[in-house]
Amino acid sequence: MERLPWLRRGFAPVLCVLLVLLAQVADSYTQYIVNLALIYVVIGVGLNFLLGYAGQFAFAHAALMGIGAYTTALLTSRLYWSFWLCLPLSGVVAAALGALGALPAMRMKRVYLALVTLAFAQLVVWVLVNWNVVTLGTDGVDVPAPMLFGWRVKGDTSVFYVVLPCTALMYWLAKRILESRIGRAFVTIRENEIVARCNGINVARTKTVVFALSAFYAGIGGSLYALTLGFIVPDAFGLSQLVLHFSIVVLGGLLSLSGAAIGAVVLTALPELLRDLQALQEIIYGLVLMVVILVMPQGIAGLLKRWGVLPREVLARNWRALARETP
Amino acid sequence: MNAPLLDARDVTVRFGGLIAVDAVSLAIPEREIRGLIGPNGAGKTTFFNAISGLVPHGGAALRFDGRDMLHLPAHRRAAAGMRRTFQSVQLVPQFTVLENVLVGMHTGIADNPAASVLGLPGGNRGELGAQRAVIEVLEFLGIGETLLQRVNQLTFAQQRYVEIARAIVGRPKLLMLDEPAAGLSPGDVKMLDALLRRLRDEWGMTILLVEHVLSLVLEISDRVTVLDNGRMIAEGSPAEVADDPAVKTAYLGNENV
Repeated sequence: MERLPWLRRGFAPVLCVLLVLLAQVADSYTQYIVNLALIYVVIGVGLNFLLGYAGQFAFAHAALMGIGAYTTALLTSRLYWSFWLCLPLSGVVAAALGALGALPAMRMKRVYLALVTLAFAQLVVWVLVNWNVVTLGTDGVDVPAPMLFGWRVKGDTSVFYVVLPCTALMYWLAKRILESRIGRAFVTIRENEIVARCNGINVARTKTVVFALSAFYAGIGGSLYALTLGFIVPDAFGLSQLVLHFSIVVLGGLLSLSGAAIGAVVLTALPELLRDLQALQEIIYGLVLMVVILVMPQGIAGLLKRWGVLPREVLARNWRALARETP
Repeated sequence: MNAPLLDARDVTVRFGGLIAVDAVSLAIPEREIRGLIGPNGAGKTTFFNAISGLVPHGGAALRFDGRDMLHLPAHRRAAAGMRRTFQSVQLVPQFTVLENVLVGMHTGIADNPAASVLGLPGGNRGELGAQRAVIEVLEFLGIGETLLQRVNQLTFAQQRYVEIARAIVGRPKLLMLDEPAAGLSPGDVKMLDALLRRLRDEWGMTILLVEHVLSLVLEISDRVTVLDNGRMIAEGSPAEVADDPAVKTAYLGNENV
């Protein structure tokens, strides 16, 4: 793809057009899977900021997704707020809570940070289950279909036309952020905080930014998830959700934006493809994960880059123009 | 006479009960190459880390470029124009040379983050200027062709140059080099020698140089400071220091034992 610039530049728009075409013919179930995959692209890209680029072992992503989902579900169903207001608000609420994760990350290393964030995640699920008056507990919450210019966003195809532009926008934003000095600062603190400090990078501030940014993506993803499912329960945001998020990032490729997207698509599609093999589903799923992690430490994206199928990712704007100038 | 660029007074570093750097004072005027030498364990690197703000330290004063640095964290000192390299080269292995050196321009890119991310007009002026600066500095160092290579594909000497590039790309006033000649061939050391002189003469840079290879230090330093056991035992021109009996004792042991 590196040698075919027209293919590289045209890939994203063409993919979007193909998805829109697919939406014309897909049955409701297929469309639902496509919507889920797109939402997990947002979730995966968000976790990759934190885990892949900034190297922070935090385990609160599923809980923050839940906070986004519940912010949207509760405000739209119980206070009748507009979904279009709740969508960005869910991201902001998750980001505010996620930024708190930066506090333990200032002083603690890997395993302690993991434990503290995991405890936070369990606490969030516990609150969602037990704070019945507000969250309706294990009964779950219905999410009313939002209105857009008099058109009711109901059914998987309608939802798709909301999810696709959101995912495209979030992906584009992620790319732009990573290609700036902020993205390079993330990787530098992952690699060596001392080097970061000696180059003028404020480590505390950078960690706060990356925790908040990652959580913002989780919150937006959660909000879209609530819209897609139409009904959410606390259990959906527990440990198995978290394992799925980590699998997406690791399988797709840490330190790769397209990797998170690939991981999201593969891990949403794979369980569905294995649906006919009910008994073997979990075993095959687990085996595929193990093999991939053992054989491709850089994930699927790393392998595809080595084969020249995926383009290189360099965290500098317009670096290709630079490459053309300097022989 | 102008005030010195770096004026450190009574800098002291304690690790528990151990005094690693004991009331060392150092004043470096602008455009000077200052050598900092001493036997193993003399506290040279610890002193370096104190000046960079990496280890907690005491001191009567630490002025740099007319500003008080004593209580500033490391990243603020770096932003003020104090940059350094490390004894063992510290680069981001997954990064290309371009990305690694751009890290050195972090505080030099003044773009509004929102304008930069959203691609508003002029939002990337700082970033693009920084990329120009990277290309310039790599050509200056003679490693322009490595721009888009990953650093783990480079030779050791090239990696050392990339680290120096990252330190000087933002044109800091003070460059601190921690054993830059370690692991280099004699030919590479000669090139390093020429490079440091050009940085002083053409870029007007002030350089503080910790070095084990005495020949290099005595060759290029305008003045040399000698540490032993965390204390300063001598300071002067390379010739004076080389003849100082206290320095000879520190390096070779006492002959009269």
